[in-house]
Amino acid sequence: MENRIPPFLLRPPAEPTEQGRGKVRVSFVDRGVRHAAKVVSDAYVQWELASREGLLQKIDARVKLFFLLSFVVVVSLKREIGAETALGGFIFLLAAVTRVPFAVYCRRVFFFGFLFGFLVALPSSLNVITPGRIIIPLLTFPEAYEAGGYHLSWHLPRQIGITEEGMRGVLLLTLRVVNSLALSFLVLFTTPLPEIIRGLKVLKVPDVFIVMLTLSYKYIFLFAQTVEEVYRAKKSRLAGGLKGSSGREWVAGRMAFLFRKTQMRCEDVYKAMLGRGFSDEVRISGFRKLSSRDWMAGAAFAVAGIFFLLL
Amino acid sequence: MHVPDGYLSPQTYVPLYGVSFVFWSIALRKMKRELSSRSTPYLAMAAAFSFLIQMLNIPIPGGTTGHAVGAGITALLLGPWTAVIAVSMVLIIQAIVFGDGGITAIGANCFNMAVVMPFVSYWVFRLVRGKATGERRLSPAAFLAGYTGLVAAAVVTAVEFGIQPLIATGADGRPLYAPYPLSIALPTMALEHLLLFGIVEGVVTMLLLKYFLKHEPGIVYTVKEA
Repeated sequence: MENRIPPFLLRPPAEPTEQGRGKVRVSFVDRGVRHAAKVVSDAYVQWELASREGLLQKIDARVKLFFLLSFVVVVSLKREIGAETALGGFIFLLAAVTRVPFAVYCRRVFFFGFLFGFLVALPSSLNVITPGRIIIPLLTFPEAYEAGGYHLSWHLPRQIGITEEGMRGVLLLTLRVVNSLALSFLVLFTTPLPEIIRGLKVLKVPDVFIVMLTLSYKYIFLFAQTVEEVYRAKKSRLAGGLKGSSGREWVAGRMAFLFRKTQMRCEDVYKAMLGRGFSDEVRISGFRKLSSRDWMAGAAFAVAGIFFLLL
Repeated sequence: MHVPDGYLSPQTYVPLYGVSFVFWSIALRKMKRELSSRSTPYLAMAAAFSFLIQMLNIPIPGGTTGHAVGAGITALLLGPWTAVIAVSMVLIIQAIVFGDGGITAIGANCFNMAVVMPFVSYWVFRLVRGKATGERRLSPAAFLAGYTGLVAAAVVTAVEFGIQPLIATGADGRPLYAPYPLSIALPTMALEHLLLFGIVEGVVTMLLLKYFLKHEPGIVYTVKEA
């Protein structure tokens, strides 16, 4: 039997990107869809992981918040590569014994650590920024150059290369960034966000601020889905590309639409709050008493924190 | 522009937490006085709006895309003190949930993007606009407000980075935190924001304000105030 399906339907679907001159360009609609989808998927992943059973998941959010804040400060105070390495070892060991998906956790920590720690700091290993013993020579000029004065001076030595002192600085900074990220993600992977926000109460953060943070997070999640839907609706109606100026106008119009939508939602929420008897006073209650396990974990974290501080 | 953990020394991030705390306290008191019980959902809404602005990519001439911080337009639409709380909440959520910006650096990030940026944008807008009400004056005022606000925040961030090699060094003189001196941090941050990101921020601020002035001028703080 003859195939009656029109040929254009038999063709594979078009790529979500447009071809530029020799390179692939991702349209702003695709970027928007990806960004919005990432916010929603990150929130789902966080909820999923935080609800698993594991060593840290069983501990009260307030204790974990204390652990996070004290250890982040300890990480920022350490000045030696050895101490930072030991701290990193301790954090990753904790992550391994807690039931977090270790590969996903490491990928996230090292990706951001590499980006914000190593890559950003790498040029500082050059002798132009950190003078010292050159271990990898890169360039040699006929003579040295000097410009500017005081703290805004530029000195270009005759030979440019990576110094030993510079590499030590890059390593220290990278370890510090990696350790801080490892701590943040460890607590995030083992604690539902509303619990983390409620836990801020132990830091004497005003209740009204905590409620606002919780509400904003819920709004963000809700409206991130709206943004994704808006972008997808636009994408599905685009036969070709969207010109720069009309694209900018469209984005501005959608931002304004979001503003109106958030305002309307705000009114609805306020009416609902009044309907439930809200009397202009925000009070967070319902914290359970810390169990002996929480106290033991808190004590263990305190001892470990003091140990690493003195290391 | 989000400062990660590890780049600022305690002698920088602790005072910046203090400064941000002062601004949060004043802003919360002002909000409660002006909006009463409505302030809680209102500020949460403003925060969600600031966050969402950062999700929308805008095409820039030259074939690339970028997103705005949104602190400037939030200040123009809702007022600078509302912007302080709204943008701060976004930055706190970004630091805790998405690892975007450090936890020790929350004070610094809030000072740069939730204090410096909204106030600079707001005052630049007021100065450039003068007493004019027409679009011919308001549009450039909005562009400059967004542009200058972001560049000012970038310059303050660059100074915070640039002073690290001066105030926190090891026994051998090696920088322990952000390694780049002012002579590198300042021109690098200033140039990329003057030539690229500032333009995106300015365009978003101008287009959004233009849209609101055309369709709903009554809800724009800077128009209501005039």
